Amino acid sequence: MNIRIHEGGSAGAEVTRRSFLRTGTAVAGGMAALAAALSPLKDLNPAEEFSIEKFIQKHYKEMTPDDMKGALDRIAREVEHRYKVRPEVRDMRPKAGVEFVYALNLSRCIGCRKCVYACVEENNQSRAPEIQYIRVIEMPRGTLDLEKGNHHYERPTVPDADHFYMPVQCHQCANPPCVKVCPVEATWQDDDGITVIDYDWCIGCRYCEAACPYWARRFNFVKPEIPEADINKDMGYLSNRPRPKGVVEKCHFCLHRTREGRLPACLEACPTGARKFGNVLDPKSEVSQILKTKRVFVLKEEVGTLPRFFYYFDERYPRSLDPEAKQVALSLGYTPGAGGWTPPAGDPARAEVSR
Amino acid sequence: MSAGKTSLVLWLIGPAFLGVAAYLALASPPADIPIGEMKIIARDAIRGGAWREAKVDARGVVAGSDRPCSECHKLFTTPPGENKALVQHKDIVMNHGMNTRCLNCHDGDDRDKLVLHDGTTVSYSDTPRLCSQCHGTVYRDWQLGTHGKTLGSWDVKDEKHRRLTCNECHEPHSPAYRPMQPLPAPTTLRMGDQSLPKQHHGKESPLRRRSASPHDAPAHEDAPKNNEPAKHAPTEAPKEPAKPAEKGGGQ
Repeated sequence: MNIRIHEGGSAGAEVTRRSFLRTGTAVAGGMAALAAALSPLKDLNPAEEFSIEKFIQKHYKEMTPDDMKGALDRIAREVEHRYKVRPEVRDMRPKAGVEFVYALNLSRCIGCRKCVYACVEENNQSRAPEIQYIRVIEMPRGTLDLEKGNHHYERPTVPDADHFYMPVQCHQCANPPCVKVCPVEATWQDDDGITVIDYDWCIGCRYCEAACPYWARRFNFVKPEIPEADINKDMGYLSNRPRPKGVVEKCHFCLHRTREGRLPACLEACPTGARKFGNVLDPKSEVSQILKTKRVFVLKEEVGTLPRFFYYFDERYPRSLDPEAKQVALSLGYTPGAGGWTPPAGDPARAEVSR
Repeated sequence: MSAGKTSLVLWLIGPAFLGVAAYLALASPPADIPIGEMKIIARDAIRGGAWREAKVDARGVVAGSDRPCSECHKLFTTPPGENKALVQHKDIVMNHGMNTRCLNCHDGDDRDKLVLHDGTTVSYSDTPRLCSQCHGTVYRDWQLGTHGKTLGSWDVKDEKHRRLTCNECHEPHSPAYRPMQPLPAPTTLRMGDQSLPKQHHGKESPLRRRSASPHDAPAHEDAPKNNEPAKHAPTEAPKEPAKPAEKGGGQ
């Protein structure tokens, strides 16, 4: 043999039988290592998982109307290929002057989980493995400590007399930790307060899932499984179009419904009217009235996320606003003032009452 | 390192990688994530809309008839002072607190109407006016939109925005909500599932990852309670004084 190769800096060394075999084995080993590293790709189905169009698609905010039209067409094609139904995929943008807020009446919630499954059906969530945006936590009386709650409860009937029920879903925070940690800006807060995810941009790092203090985000470990007959054909780009494997999803206040004036699916399925939804910028809206007249609270206030999801126990007005209480107070000789009601002289409550 | 040792290492690296590649390509287990079973939820159980069908007019109350109430009640009258055992309308279960007289709400003279305390008659579709006589605080909440269910649109200015009336959720004769069967508990990957086997490929099943946590202890402690004589059974429930639907309602 008369071949000369460069080997390890000693230029011009003779190729012996030994060095040829040694180098050859090392090269074959390197190739094998490469093949081993790429071997997970053998599980991919090129027809479904990969398309050039999706690969070169721009970020949602950089897409022109034509780009978006192409993307919606591609999604409709993919859904039709996989589920044999032609969906109507739309890109719904936020309306000006609207900021969505959810309010949930804990006195009325009975823990029936109808909201959970209405959400699953509306939003084309995976049925196996199950992906659910709403967790209904059964809380023992006398605590608001979520660690004492249980979302696996199975009972012949609900509500149980010794528990109350607290559904938790995405709180659409005004200060969302999930958005801050996303390394690729695949999730952001829209103008109407809804934090959305571009499933085509998500890289599946799950940082957001870890950052969320409400445990509201879900990861598609495998390809979602949805029966063809149950596909909801009314789809939004940022909301309920079927997700691929390896991306994160979460509640989006049913934005494909709510951005055109309709109500979220969980609210429509609630048998007790415990769920209330609306525009907090409209003082006449139901949620504005709740924030005004009910004693509302947010979950994990101390983490500073400023949720747009409020809980309340259904009580009467604060007494200062209650016209009946006003009449009662007047008849008892209380006098109204800037700081509240002053009891008449000699009233034992005088020392303490401020309102 | 001597030349001999280096060459020995180089001799070994190649076959080692070849072995790994062959294993991964031919014998590696497929990515196996337990996915659980698909649940079938009846679409009826999660349909949107009003919880019950409200009577909008006084027709067809008696099974098999589509006639207005007044047609029969021309003949059959109800004495206002006493509650006789019902001959018709036996399906009606009265469970409305101290409000036990038919003619408290139904007009004795015009059977197709309801009646207020002052004798004004109102139609069947106008129940909030009737109920508000006793349930003032709930009525006020309902007017503001903080009690009850809304359908159509979240926008109060939208004509599709419709607030359900009292009897579209509450059965007027026994208005408290009956306890209902909850839909199945989640088996989501991170949420765990009590019914799945503990072992999965010789390790603790990821579906059960959280199931051993103290979170679930209350469920097990409570479980025997549910098997006690039907304390929460639907038929018994309306007799309980604590009516979830009536909290906050002024009597």
